[in-house]
Amino acid sequence: MHFPTRYRVVISLMLLLLALILLVPLAPYALAYVQGAGGVANPGTELWREVRQGVPGQTQVQGTDTGTLIGAGGEQWRRFRMEQLVPYSAVIFAGVVGLFVLYFLIRGRIRITAGRSGRLIQRYTLSDRWIHWFMAVVFLILMLTGLVLLYGRWILIPWLGPEGFSATAQFCKSAHNLTGLLFPVAVVLVLFAYLREALFNFKVDITWFLRAGGYLGGKHPSSGKINAGQKAWYWTVVVGGVLLCVSGLALYFPDFVQSRELLRNAYQVHTLVAVFIIAFFFVHIYLGAIGMEGSLEAMTSGSVDANWAKEQHDLWYEEVRGQPEPDPPGAGGIAAGGVASPRPDD
Amino acid sequence: MKLTKVQNPAAAAVTSRGAGPANTIDRRTFLRRAGMSAGGAAALGMLPATMMRKAHATTEAAAPEGGKTETVRSICTHCSVGCGIYAEVQNGVWTGQEPAFDHPFNRGAHCAKGASVREHGHGERRLKYPTKLENGKWKRISWEQAVNEIGDKMLAIREQSGPDSVYWLGSAKHNNEQAYLFRKFAAFWGTNNVDHQARICHSTTVAGVANTWGYGAMTNSYNDIHNSKAILVIGGNPAEAHPVALQHLFRATERNNAPLIVIDPRFTRTAAHANQYMRIRPGTDVPVVWGMLWHIFENGWEDKEFIRQRVYGMDEIRKEVAKWTPDEVERVSGAPEEQVKRAAKTMAEHRPGTFIWCMGGTQHTIGNNNTRAYCVFQLALGNMGVAGGGTNIFRGHDNVQGATDLGVLSHTLPGYYGVAEGAWKHWAKVWDVDYDWLAGRFDKEERPGEYFGEEGGDEKIINSMHAKGIPVSRWIDGVLEDKNNIEQRDRLRAMVFWGHAPNSQTRGVEMKDAMDKLDMLVVVDPYPTVSAVMHDRTDGVYLLPAATQFETYGSVTASNRSLQWRDRVIEPLFESRPDHTIMYMMAKKLGFEEELFKHIEVNGEEPMIEDITREFNRGMWTIGYTGQSPERLKLHQQNWHTFDYTTLEARGGPANGEAYGLPWPCWGTPEMKHPGTHVLYDTSKPVAKGGLTFRARFGVERDGVNLLAEDSYSKGSAIKDGYPEFTADMLKKLGWWDDLTADEKQQAEGKNWKTDLSGGIQRVAIKHGCAPFGNAKARTVVWTFPDPVPIHREPLYTSRRDLVEKYPTYADRKDFYRLPTRYESIQAKDYTGEYPLIMTSGRLVEYEGGGDETRSNPWLAELQQHMFAEVNIVDANNAGIKDGEKIWVESPEGARIEVQAKVTDQGVAAGVVWLPFHFGGHFQGKDLRDKYPKGSDPYVLGEACNTAFTYGYDSVTAMQETKCSLCRIGPA
Amino acid sequence: MARMKFLCDAERCIECNACVTACKNANEVPWGINRRRVVTINDGSPGERSMSVACMHCSDAPCAAVCPVDCFYFTDDGVVLHDKDICIGCGYCFYACPFGAPQFPANVAFGGRGKMDKCTFCGGGPEPDNSPEEFRKYGSNRLAQGKLPLCAEMCSTKALIAGDGDVVSEIFRERVTYRAASGLAWGWGVAYGKPGQRRASGLENKASSQD
Repeated sequence: MHFPTRYRVVISLMLLLLALILLVPLAPYALAYVQGAGGVANPGTELWREVRQGVPGQTQVQGTDTGTLIGAGGEQWRRFRMEQLVPYSAVIFAGVVGLFVLYFLIRGRIRITAGRSGRLIQRYTLSDRWIHWFMAVVFLILMLTGLVLLYGRWILIPWLGPEGFSATAQFCKSAHNLTGLLFPVAVVLVLFAYLREALFNFKVDITWFLRAGGYLGGKHPSSGKINAGQKAWYWTVVVGGVLLCVSGLALYFPDFVQSRELLRNAYQVHTLVAVFIIAFFFVHIYLGAIGMEGSLEAMTSGSVDANWAKEQHDLWYEEVRGQPEPDPPGAGGIAAGGVASPRPDD
Repeated sequence: MKLTKVQNPAAAAVTSRGAGPANTIDRRTFLRRAGMSAGGAAALGMLPATMMRKAHATTEAAAPEGGKTETVRSICTHCSVGCGIYAEVQNGVWTGQEPAFDHPFNRGAHCAKGASVREHGHGERRLKYPTKLENGKWKRISWEQAVNEIGDKMLAIREQSGPDSVYWLGSAKHNNEQAYLFRKFAAFWGTNNVDHQARICHSTTVAGVANTWGYGAMTNSYNDIHNSKAILVIGGNPAEAHPVALQHLFRATERNNAPLIVIDPRFTRTAAHANQYMRIRPGTDVPVVWGMLWHIFENGWEDKEFIRQRVYGMDEIRKEVAKWTPDEVERVSGAPEEQVKRAAKTMAEHRPGTFIWCMGGTQHTIGNNNTRAYCVFQLALGNMGVAGGGTNIFRGHDNVQGATDLGVLSHTLPGYYGVAEGAWKHWAKVWDVDYDWLAGRFDKEERPGEYFGEEGGDEKIINSMHAKGIPVSRWIDGVLEDKNNIEQRDRLRAMVFWGHAPNSQTRGVEMKDAMDKLDMLVVVDPYPTVSAVMHDRTDGVYLLPAATQFETYGSVTASNRSLQWRDRVIEPLFESRPDHTIMYMMAKKLGFEEELFKHIEVNGEEPMIEDITREFNRGMWTIGYTGQSPERLKLHQQNWHTFDYTTLEARGGPANGEAYGLPWPCWGTPEMKHPGTHVLYDTSKPVAKGGLTFRARFGVERDGVNLLAEDSYSKGSAIKDGYPEFTADMLKKLGWWDDLTADEKQQAEGKNWKTDLSGGIQRVAIKHGCAPFGNAKARTVVWTFPDPVPIHREPLYTSRRDLVEKYPTYADRKDFYRLPTRYESIQAKDYTGEYPLIMTSGRLVEYEGGGDETRSNPWLAELQQHMFAEVNIVDANNAGIKDGEKIWVESPEGARIEVQAKVTDQGVAAGVVWLPFHFGGHFQGKDLRDKYPKGSDPYVLGEACNTAFTYGYDSVTAMQETKCSLCRIGPA
Repeated sequence: MARMKFLCDAERCIECNACVTACKNANEVPWGINRRRVVTINDGSPGERSMSVACMHCSDAPCAAVCPVDCFYFTDDGVVLHDKDICIGCGYCFYACPFGAPQFPANVAFGGRGKMDKCTFCGGGPEPDNSPEEFRKYGSNRLAQGKLPLCAEMCSTKALIAGDGDVVSEIFRERVTYRAASGLAWGWGVAYGKPGQRRASGLENKASSQD
């Protein structure tokens, strides 16, 4: 990849064209100036300045932006996508994944310190879990199809060939578009499902943050039903989700009257938010499914071991300790609904 | 043909309501696109890209493309530039259009219209079958039924009211042969009520220019502008109306440093490329031209020697010009002295300069004064008769020059012979019919003393054969006026629109009334046109599908008087038939086909085009349409590449030395091989090589002043001075009589250069280096016109009441082209309080004329989807209007149109509203799309600006006033 | 090797839209798709200039750079073409192109864009030259027939020039030479000031093989 070189070439080309065009009005202007007949700014010069600045003109061709002769935004957008988004997002994703691999290698799986008590505590209701997994499936499809479109040109074309990848990309684009319609639903459901527990409790949450959740050593800081990190994830999903929906909709219906500038901005918002969410998503997956013993079952069976609750969410444990035990695991679990999810590792 | 394969079943379009499935021509069914039955731009987005080439290629895929493609040479059917076209045809399907790089006029170039003519081969929105309106429904009928019903009705009207009650409205879209045949057809029907668009485009030019120096046509050519050292365009926007002309203008501006001066009320696209732009108030051409001449005379810049030798009456002009001091010019026209003087100086210092004008100058009540003033300007500078100079009058339609020359006009027979007895006798001889029989075809009623309701008025005998007919601009009044006021037996009862868009005519509301009042309305056209929908009739309307000029062949005269030959590109689409075939069918029904086609071979029902050409060759001596035989024209057509881009002269090749298209006058018989006259009145060449003098048309002296040229004669002339037009007697006096052959002598005896059918008088005159029509001065004073010296008169609906007293219009007239005509009675009333804005009109590049054809071409229609009004930002703000909003434009005669506002900063000045005139299909806010026969509604409809335009007719030609009226605007 | 270029001489362009309809004519592109358009700056005011614009066939084409499926390719003549069988209609090329060249059929599927369409320099697509399939997808392949794009060939004032970049710039350079000698003919700077002096250019008789 030689983006900077290519970039220079296209700019030079455009400048060359403009220079050629500029010659015309300039020549007599210079002449007039020499003859002393000038004194009024040459509108030609002004004209091409306007063109370069993307001042719209008039055209008989209908459509958005058709009056703009040269739009500079495209170049910036290209730079954003090719020189920033693609490489940096790859670095970010690789970095996050790499960090967790490293963490796992060093720290290994975080066990329930006191071991399993055998006593279960109801943590998520059936609807809570349905909503979670609904969002999870929608999100995974969107993420994977989105990533295929983002990196496929470099990663998949060598494997699938251009035609093969085109079919894949076409499928991914359609899948992204169709699934995207469900995403706003998922975001709204998530918003209401967990809103109460996700409200910040400043003292507790700040302490939690200050101690980095205890992941880097030390005791687990106190937390309610969900800890500050989970709250952050929740708000990321909700706020980011709204941004993704809004920007996605702008990109979704190109036949509306969006200007190209708006589409480009929507794309930037969409991808930046997506990169952030996906990076956070890796954290979520690691902590929810891989790195922590006893976490995943909260979203599969709906219940957690009492000791896990005591260690991870002491304040919540205090609240719910007196309540009756839920049904045995699996009876009404979401796993029965067909979602393939790894069973908690005993 | 195998092309049915691609036919889309959904596209089995039924054109006329109630008719069965299309009796289609398989070969063409593929041309239709699916889902096109209902109109509306909204539906257009869904057009599948069914493609002709694809269709063709699919069916012919097995065969290699090569070999089968035939390239046909044709000429663009839009404007008068006459651009060459290479049409690629495969198996009768127009599959490709290639630039004709070797064509001397356009070098492959086209405007939006020319670049899209191939769409004609698709023809989705054409009128497909003969259709009639029955109980408010369109009904498909057969050609036989149509011709029979129409003919029966006409014969009944003839019986009851006389032949003058049927109006034959011809077309500048006909080729020369059809135009000639049409005029002849009307003559054989027995009426002078025949006319065409030239009346409303350049009739004032033809009258003004012809009465100045002999011929009413562009004196030089588009190509000759290469030689110009300065270019002045007034009342014209060739960048939109004649875009290819700009390639010639740019040649002069770039290579000769020729300054381009544009004088116009609107900052046009032509003005955008000008060095000097002068904005004037609409209708003040005379003040501005006299204003420039004032500076020229003041500084002695005029060409005194030229004036002495070749111009009559310049002293009277000086007297008038002296009144137009810079202050007065600015007061009346708004053009400041500095600009006027600068333009005058530029034209004086850069000679030869050319003078270009269009509708902005002609469409006024004083149009003939304007055109004569332009001519006087060029005469004063000595710019006439030289390459690079001249009055380059850009005509409108592709064949408006030809149709004018061939007399599709209510006041003349072909060749500007007029309608006096001599003219009829000349043509009766050419046609080989008995003059008395011909005269018997006309109405002979004598009806003294009751015109205009006056008791004991003039005793006047109607002689409809020798009286000018009603002009197209006034046909409405021919229907609506009290019949006692019309100088014919009865009012008009049937209208035949044979290739005419009614929306190109003013007074739309009254026109609708007139259409409603007619007994019968017949439209012969490739498209239904606005004539099919603008009225509220439920019966008595017939639509007959005519073939386009790409579906027939023949000659066409470009603005520069060159005749070009078109070959047939494709067979007539659907059930359409060529115009001359329809004329034959009608003539047969009306009972004069034997006489009409006496010397014209008819194959089946199609008269032979070449025979028609040869027939007018035999009679058109006045303007030299005699040398252009079909054979010579075809030779030129096949050798486009041999003609020079600037001089139009063939350099070698089979037409060596001839000017392209044998621009008339091409004297004598074809055998004489006259090369045509590229530049009129150019004395630097012998007449035999295209040289010419000013025509001796107005006598030899007036009030003791010599009208013949002095010390000026064309190169090689045996007579080294002015001389009158040639007659047999004159040949005898000169001792040249014996130069005639015995046969020629016999035919020439007692004749003159115009009536000698042998061509001998012309041949001998030219042999001695003389112009057959004499050698005279151009006259700046036309004593036969209402204003002998061109003067300024305020428009009828003027915005400047303060000028009415000093520059009043004419007195009302009682019989002008058979009709009472109002001037001062309209101007007397002040409308400026209620209607404060000036309303004017013009063209768009994408459309042409009434626009039925171009608005039905999706490639063009997509580019102009809304009728609009260009309004200055000041007026818009005053009226509370924003750009893009719907507004009402209302005019003093009560008409109103609903259009989109296009707010402009400097396009038009404050106080002026500009409207394009190509739209139609909406009427005073009502969308008439549903009224079109199914499937033949143009893609784009809109208000016709002429619905709102008002009364007003030129004092010589009855040209309509479309460039200066009043209006008010307001939000819709 | 030729390097194909478009150049629009704004001093000659009169916004007649011949290039737009010529393109429709050559390629039969449907209503709503305009591979070429004419843009007028300062419409209706002194200084008004028009310019015809379509795909400029950039050397380093942004469209090709951003395409997620890499459907663009460059011909030996430097023409930027694309493969509609590979295009997924994402619209990225449309975001990136400075000239607004990529077009998408309107009203295709819900949320879809259909295949991108753009000026091919009348060079068709990857299908066999001048095959029906190529015409259906891309329009004419005039280059394969030894012809240049119809838009430029039909330009009313020869403002739009297409062809080998070297020849195009040579034609243009020659034009500018003519104009530079003309104090009066060009430039509103002169038009607004005092009348310019007429200068003998000495170039009147200089013939140019191309204009």
